[in-house]
Amino acid sequence: MSFRPSAVGSLAREVLLMLLRLFPWSTEPGLRSVGDPSPSSPVLVTGNYDLTVRRLLRALEGLDAWVVVAPSRGINVWCAAAGGHLTSHQVVTALKTSGVAERVEHRRAILPQLAATGVQAREVSQRCGWKLRFGPVYAEDLPRYLAQHEKKSDDMRRVRFGVAERLEMAVAWAAPTSLVFAAVTALFRPAWCLPILALSWTLAIAVFLIYDRIPGPRRLVLGGGAIAGSLSCVVLAEGGMAALSAAAIASALLTAILTYDYSGSTPIEGGSHFEERRWTVAMDRERCKGVYSCWEVCPEACFAKPPSEERGVERKVDLAHSEHCIRCGACIVQCPEDALYFEDEKGLRVQPDTIRRFKLNLMGRRAVATTDSEVTD
Amino acid sequence: MSSLALMRLLESAPDRYDAGMRAITLGRVTHLHAAVARAAVTRPETRVLEIGCGTGAVTERLVALGARVTALDQSPEMLERAERRLADARPDRVSWLERTASEIDALPEASFDAVVASFCLSDMSAGERAFTLRQAARLLCPGGTLAVADEVIPEQIGERLLHALLRLPQVLIGWLLAGATSHPIRDLAGEIRAAGFVVEQEERWLLGSLAAITAAPGVRAEEEEKPK
Repeated sequence: MSFRPSAVGSLAREVLLMLLRLFPWSTEPGLRSVGDPSPSSPVLVTGNYDLTVRRLLRALEGLDAWVVVAPSRGINVWCAAAGGHLTSHQVVTALKTSGVAERVEHRRAILPQLAATGVQAREVSQRCGWKLRFGPVYAEDLPRYLAQHEKKSDDMRRVRFGVAERLEMAVAWAAPTSLVFAAVTALFRPAWCLPILALSWTLAIAVFLIYDRIPGPRRLVLGGGAIAGSLSCVVLAEGGMAALSAAAIASALLTAILTYDYSGSTPIEGGSHFEERRWTVAMDRERCKGVYSCWEVCPEACFAKPPSEERGVERKVDLAHSEHCIRCGACIVQCPEDALYFEDEKGLRVQPDTIRRFKLNLMGRRAVATTDSEVTD
Repeated sequence: MSSLALMRLLESAPDRYDAGMRAITLGRVTHLHAAVARAAVTRPETRVLEIGCGTGAVTERLVALGARVTALDQSPEMLERAERRLADARPDRVSWLERTASEIDALPEASFDAVVASFCLSDMSAGERAFTLRQAARLLCPGGTLAVADEVIPEQIGERLLHALLRLPQVLIGWLLAGATSHPIRDLAGEIRAAGFVVEQEERWLLGSLAAITAAPGVRAEEEEKPK
């Protein structure tokens, strides 16, 4: 492999993007070509988060394809879809204004599966004539998906949270946190910078590696850990002023890393406002017509289709593994029969249209809208 | 405070949008809204297409001048707010559309006397902006008017430096809080010309960083400029 200056620059940018991946990094929306695409080559749509576009283009190396980058405010596909920044609007805009329609003779586009929380495939089709299909969760599975004639195998549907993904998120948290704390420390005692950096990275990596294995109410346990850690720092300081200020910085660091709501950085839970209301996905079996769009877009394989030999008699889907649900809402957004919705412990419902409209809006608008549109069961 | 980098932050909270915009632009946004509305509505019953109506600040002025408005925005929250704002005025004079600018190609040719876009072109990608402006040229009747206002990059080098300097802290705050920033347009008048308009008037405010442009549909450049 030869190292051109542009390749080094590109690598440097990618490392920077990974260190600061919690922040949006946008790339210009529009059309990109991969290889030597023809009018019949596949069209892939994604958001304009720089890291995603880079990884997608790399995953497609050796293939011929069109890539349409939709404006998602420089936010990654899943977060943008859930936060209302990658919706049917942005996909319609990209398909219509990128010029892709003039380059291809078909009107089929493949979206990342995780866009299903925000983009309504049927609505896009009605509004601009493009048929959308939700492809694999990960770009790296695209060559296999395309090779098997756009058929997803079960593993392509699942969100993975293995050691690599955990480390990637740990780095994303550790890098900015450690920098801020090291900068603060440097103001008092430059000598403490290194220990503080080490503590930040160790804590972040540890939290992400064991996050879903923490028993009991996770955030309480972590909060308790932060208090215990802070107290022991103070005790260890034994009253000396210098040691006490070190203890104070370490305590603040412990508290920041251990008590943060990591729901957006882990595919494990749906955030604290979900925990409070204990919302779960519920199903109105009467309405289900066996379209299986829920099954197609669920990143945790919560739904089960009836065995194919029985489908003549029973087509309805089963919410068989609701214990795996992470409440991303993709199934609710896509169901053409409005058979799925969120429900809390008291039986209060959030209707599909509210989900489609407010998504998992980062400002909590959906939670607000819910109280307005509650329907008692 | 001469930039709209914080505008994106305000967009996530429509209730504070108007007050925030006034503060950021030192009240100049009001002048721009007025200028755009005056340029668009030259006589009563003017048919106006407003792209990206937001909270309805310009819509309100257009209606007050006697226009019939088709107001388009992709945000349901913004439209809700705009509708509420116009509820006491003449709601029968406005039809609201929850659509993106890229969908104005569905509207019939030469069906408007004026097309207005206030602070929404800078939120688009270059491709989207070119598409929207070409469509605006198609939608306008002969003798019609395009009236736009937006954040632009100042032309003079001194103004440009000062603007960049004043803008930096806002960009940082906006980026950290909302993960978004505005994208002032480098050559708005040039892009308008490229879409087939003749630029008739250009006014600038705040170190040349806010522009209001009036243009008329002229020779269609799109027929000569085929995509490469």
